[in-house]
Amino acid sequence: MIFAPASGLSQTTSTEKPVPILSGTAGFLSDKTAGQTLLDTQFNPVLLVPLGDRWLVESRGEFEGEFQRPPGGGPFGGPVNKHLDYLQADYIANPYVTVTVGRFLTPFGIFNERLYPMWIRALQPDPLILPIATASSDGTMLRGGFPVGARANLNYAAYVSVTSIGIDGVESERHVGGRAGFFFPGSRLEVGVSWQKALQDDRKNAVGFHMAWQPRALPLSMHSEFVRSNQGSGYWIEGAYRLSQVHFWEKAMRRTELVARGQQFFGGSITSDAADSLGLPGVNTREADFGVNYFLRDGLKVVGSYGRQLSSSGNFNQWTVGIAYRFLIPLGRGGNP
Amino acid sequence: MRRVPVLLLALVLALTAFAESSNKKEAAAVTPVAHSSDANSMRAEGEQRFRANCGRCHAAPQKFPPRAMATVLRHMRVRATITDEDMRLVLFYMTQ
Repeated sequence: MIFAPASGLSQTTSTEKPVPILSGTAGFLSDKTAGQTLLDTQFNPVLLVPLGDRWLVESRGEFEGEFQRPPGGGPFGGPVNKHLDYLQADYIANPYVTVTVGRFLTPFGIFNERLYPMWIRALQPDPLILPIATASSDGTMLRGGFPVGARANLNYAAYVSVTSIGIDGVESERHVGGRAGFFFPGSRLEVGVSWQKALQDDRKNAVGFHMAWQPRALPLSMHSEFVRSNQGSGYWIEGAYRLSQVHFWEKAMRRTELVARGQQFFGGSITSDAADSLGLPGVNTREADFGVNYFLRDGLKVVGSYGRQLSSSGNFNQWTVGIAYRFLIPLGRGGNP
Repeated sequence: MRRVPVLLLALVLALTAFAESSNKKEAAAVTPVAHSSDANSMRAEGEQRFRANCGRCHAAPQKFPPRAMATVLRHMRVRATITDEDMRLVLFYMTQ
């Protein structure tokens, strides 16, 4: 019954029949953390293949080269990491339910699914809590969004990851979880909650809350996440302000965005070595970041940020400059622009 | 954890029941927008929906060719769990 097409609800007209597209992000960052320079090149191709009115096959890969000078000096060198972020088939069963099968981004919080790409994120360094409960899932998921009353939309996702894979590039674990959020279009506010239970090892729970808000009166975009788990707990809150209301150098100001993020991490019940292997700080940590983004044109921006991290294992500065480019190539006749 | 598949099945059935019972209501809610509004008002409404939904994560992109935009919107419908009606209006705004 759930797979029965709902009559009259197909997405497109004949003139808007979707075509496959190759999209994604390419970027380069120079990152100086605690005096150590890291050259980070990233290429994240996204392939979207629509099939009929209701199917979409989508995939994203990650190729990341991280190059550093060796401790004794010498030329930059380092590994090129390859990773399959997702390879999934989506079936839009009806206006309320989309069924996803395959490898997919775990819908825990909002950063992992929505804000991760370089061209979208306002600050290039990851939030400290990002590794918690966001490993890609291999299994099935139900998700959707629909109005509940005149002033709110409900969005949800429920998923099971059924395989535990530990080979390079496609790591995953067995877990079950869900996320639900309410979006209020009038006030442009979204609040939501996430939950995940591991089905392996210590079978622990992780709980998260998220918020996104774009006030109508200001070109300001606020995002925040909180998470609590045995691997650690913490939060981040970020504001990005576009200078489009400044009345001098208007052309340049419209393209400029100022960003600030505050965050805190509290260590969990796992060892500092285990935390390190997950990409989490080994001790309680605080961090503040400030950044500037300049949009050269659509999909192309220059980024720069400064961060200060404070913890019992040492305080240090983090400087980042770079460039991010989003590309989109229709793999077929796209129609008139 | 034996309860997990049962709970998911219950969720599927509940959502399906809700979807089936609301299909007529949804069609009635969507169709009048398409038929009673002129292109300008649909475009204006689409822009509102675009700013409310897509603006949660990123700035407005340029307008891509219509058939490419249809693919992007299908992707974003899944990724950002935007509603069926919002997707249609945003697609209209981005392609007309």
